[in-house]
Amino acid sequence: MRIPAGVRRVFRLPSSRERIVRDLDDEVRFHVEMRTRRLRGEGYSEAEASAEAQRRFGDVEDLRDYCVSMEVAHMHRTRARERLESVAQDLRFALRQFRKSPGFAFIATLTLALGVGATTAIFSVVNGVVLKPLPFARPQQLVQLWGLDAKGHHLSFADPTFDAVLHDTHSFAAVAEYAQNGMSLVEDGEVERVRATAVSSQFFRALEVAPLLGRLFVPEEQQLGAPMAAVISHALWVRRFGASPSAIGKSLLSDGKPLTVVGVLREGQEFPAGTDVWYPREIFEKNTSYTAHNWRVIGRVKEGIPLEQAARDLSMTLQRLHATLGDATWTFDGTIVGLRDQIVGSIKPLLYLLLSASAVLLVIACANVANLLIARMAVRENEIAVRLAIGAGRARLAQQLLIEASLLSAAGCLGGLLLALAGMRVLLALRPESIPRVGELRVDWMVLAFAIVISAGTAIVLGLVASWRGARGDLRAALAQSQRTQGGGGASYRIRGSLVVVQLAMTVVLLIGAGLLARSFVRLMRIDTGLRTQGVVVANLSFDAGDGSNAERVARRTQYADEIVARARALPGVTSVGVSDAEPFSNGSSNGQFIELSSADVNRAPADLMKDLQLMMQDKAHTGYATYRLASGDYFRALQIPLLSGRLFDETDRAGAPEVALVNAALAKKQWPGESPLGKVIEFGNIDGDLTPMTVIGVVGDTREEELAADPQPAIYVCDRQRPGNSSDLNVIMATSGSAPVTAAARRAFRQVRTDVPMRFSTVEDIIARSVASRRFMLLLVGVFGGVALLLATLGVYSVISYLVAQRGREISIRVALGAHGSDIIGLVVRQGVVLAVFGAAVGALAAFASTRVLKSLLYSVSTTDPLAFAGVLVMLCVIALVASYVPARRAARLEPMDVLRGG
Amino acid sequence: MPRDASDLLHGTLDVLILKTLSWDGMHGYAIAEWIEKRAGGELVIVDAALYKALHRLEDSGSIESEWGVSENNRRAKYYSLTAHGRAQLRAEAATWKRYAHAVHRILETA
Repeated sequence: MRIPAGVRRVFRLPSSRERIVRDLDDEVRFHVEMRTRRLRGEGYSEAEASAEAQRRFGDVEDLRDYCVSMEVAHMHRTRARERLESVAQDLRFALRQFRKSPGFAFIATLTLALGVGATTAIFSVVNGVVLKPLPFARPQQLVQLWGLDAKGHHLSFADPTFDAVLHDTHSFAAVAEYAQNGMSLVEDGEVERVRATAVSSQFFRALEVAPLLGRLFVPEEQQLGAPMAAVISHALWVRRFGASPSAIGKSLLSDGKPLTVVGVLREGQEFPAGTDVWYPREIFEKNTSYTAHNWRVIGRVKEGIPLEQAARDLSMTLQRLHATLGDATWTFDGTIVGLRDQIVGSIKPLLYLLLSASAVLLVIACANVANLLIARMAVRENEIAVRLAIGAGRARLAQQLLIEASLLSAAGCLGGLLLALAGMRVLLALRPESIPRVGELRVDWMVLAFAIVISAGTAIVLGLVASWRGARGDLRAALAQSQRTQGGGGASYRIRGSLVVVQLAMTVVLLIGAGLLARSFVRLMRIDTGLRTQGVVVANLSFDAGDGSNAERVARRTQYADEIVARARALPGVTSVGVSDAEPFSNGSSNGQFIELSSADVNRAPADLMKDLQLMMQDKAHTGYATYRLASGDYFRALQIPLLSGRLFDETDRAGAPEVALVNAALAKKQWPGESPLGKVIEFGNIDGDLTPMTVIGVVGDTREEELAADPQPAIYVCDRQRPGNSSDLNVIMATSGSAPVTAAARRAFRQVRTDVPMRFSTVEDIIARSVASRRFMLLLVGVFGGVALLLATLGVYSVISYLVAQRGREISIRVALGAHGSDIIGLVVRQGVVLAVFGAAVGALAAFASTRVLKSLLYSVSTTDPLAFAGVLVMLCVIALVASYVPARRAARLEPMDVLRGG
Repeated sequence: MPRDASDLLHGTLDVLILKTLSWDGMHGYAIAEWIEKRAGGELVIVDAALYKALHRLEDSGSIESEWGVSENNRRAKYYSLTAHGRAQLRAEAATWKRYAHAVHRILETA
């Protein structure tokens, strides 16, 4: 009567907690009854026997607790072990399957790796740049402070405005002003141009950084006129001092003055980005003007004070200041921005856009692998039907398919990580400067976790698709059918067809995006900048005029510039040489408000004029906004900026002669519509403090600078002889006849004048390329994603049509046997591909129509629904689908009907 | 004889059960009766402890159980020795005999 040992396990009779309790109770009851019967036999009464049996049994409750807890644990252990065993078994099976068809495993892994790799690479950038906190203590309390002008635009701070913030706000643990500028470092006759930042006393306290080596500034170094002490970056320390501790105390020459290194900062803590040298701001005199907006300000909000409260505090302080000073300050109000948002805010949308594009690619890769898996499921339908027939549960079958998918995904994840590492390197090589925080990029656990999570997601999606297809099969139909065809029924084709349609649609979206960016880029590159872009070499020289009075410094600089220009003119191949204080294709050396003076004002003394200046600046009709640039007469000849009326600067425009200015057509049209600007007198002194009025002597052509996509800005050019200013930047613009390489010769010639002047050479083409780098970067990435997507989609169409041909081999053979021509067969098959392509294209076009508006800010003079981009992509897609289905179609047409019909 | 049977049971009940089951598979009540009969009434077993031991031995794989039907046609749980249990019995019986022998010798000579 007994069930043989082990049978229960073989049949896996279900057990549960309730069952365990019931069994135990049965066992105890049986025992007590047996004992009672025995005691009755010994002469006990019924009641006595029962009581005695109970007593001798002991504590039933205790026994129940003991046994149930033990057996429940046992049950769980057994189940877990069985599950683990089945997983191991399925893993072995899956590996065997992949070893049998390495081609499938390879293609599927590669496809997933592409999707995972692209998404992970972009995510690692998003993570490093946008998501990761700044590398400072409690970074959420670090903020950038901004003044606000009457219109609510951000304003930098003037010294006295900053002082008011420093003294009158109470929400900040530290606030500091800083300004970044260029500095020439000289050591052993070697000149290097570095970025230096002047920082006020609380700067490092706000950031809460500690030096890697040495110390930060002490109060004696933060005094007016104190010798310059410097904290240097890790990069400079490695570069100049070979990371030696002896760097501390070393003296360098900076713009002719000694500078002593006191400390080295840790790597990654350079703020503002790119700074190599920090020095105390206090060693130089403060500017008392409330309108010299030269300083940026950071602050650390006190612990426990919400950011909104700090913002209100700042706002109230600046509003009070404005109420006291009135028009003497242009700062009406103030606000704060989290430092991280300040640093990465502009790049964030671009990165998220790229992340979405890579996610689309991942979806396409998934669809492709799902398609491959389903094709295999179809081939394996026989195997699966047999397994179902001998009693494999559908859940178990699903588990096995899920494990196959997981294995693929794991391999894809691994490959994807490798691709991501390589891809990141390429990304950084492409565009290192325009991405903030790029030095902080690492593949860290966040990136790893991301790759693993998306791979796991992929595995689940693929496993579900496969098991839904595989475990659902109708036994008899599959067994019967597999005798005749290699592959599943019509339902399988419909699913695979839909997957291909999804792929095609996604591909269309990516390609249309790429197409729009490409069209926009081409238009941008065809824009007439208004200046000569080819064959122009620009030398940027940082000349330090040394000590002495302003006049002496100007004289030295002028002499140096003259000599350089003479040398440049003498170079073979150079046709004309202009100079300016700003690079071509930059937005001038500064910009600001100018005032048009009436004929009455022209004759007033400057000191007298100064009194009314604030009032005159409010007069909208006679003021304007323009970029400001120092230029020589030959600047316009070298860059071929046309003279539209009047004259250019010439020898008569010397220092001391009546001051003159040139304006561009945009300014003339805006300020003096219908009038000639010649002879107008303007005052543009806020830029360099020189209040001498200037007479407009000519109008030159408009140029698009800095940002190609923007309209030409109003510009004022002043004569380099008359307003030499105090910038150390000298840009020598050399127009060349094209053939001879000028740079090396120019460098040699210029070094003969002075050896200690840092030089940088570029061409106008380089400068323009830099300005469109971010567009090119975006175009390149979306283009690559689109290309990969197209490749995968082509594979998808090809495989699904090949599958169709295999599946319908019998039918096709019958048609051929009945006299159908090869071309009929080709038409029959290709029509299927075209149907897929048309569906995919239609869905994709709709999706693109709905989604390309996210590109709007990146497009120039191309509509987000540009018909050419849409039509081009749709036609291309259809052609590719045609080709991808023609190949299997031709194979179908060549089928030998008798082989197929006989062979089954 | 120990004052409390459970003291004895704690150390020896397992080996007594294994010994009992080495004859044949039987249900819990039969095991209790068998031990009591062999011990000539010297050993009184608390039934709850017996069942704890049975379930513990089953959990450790020394014995296994199947539901069957008893001589009076009742549903009863039958325990039987596994190969592992048989090996355990051999080892523990030997240990126990050596131990008892040693104790016996000391008690006799002292």
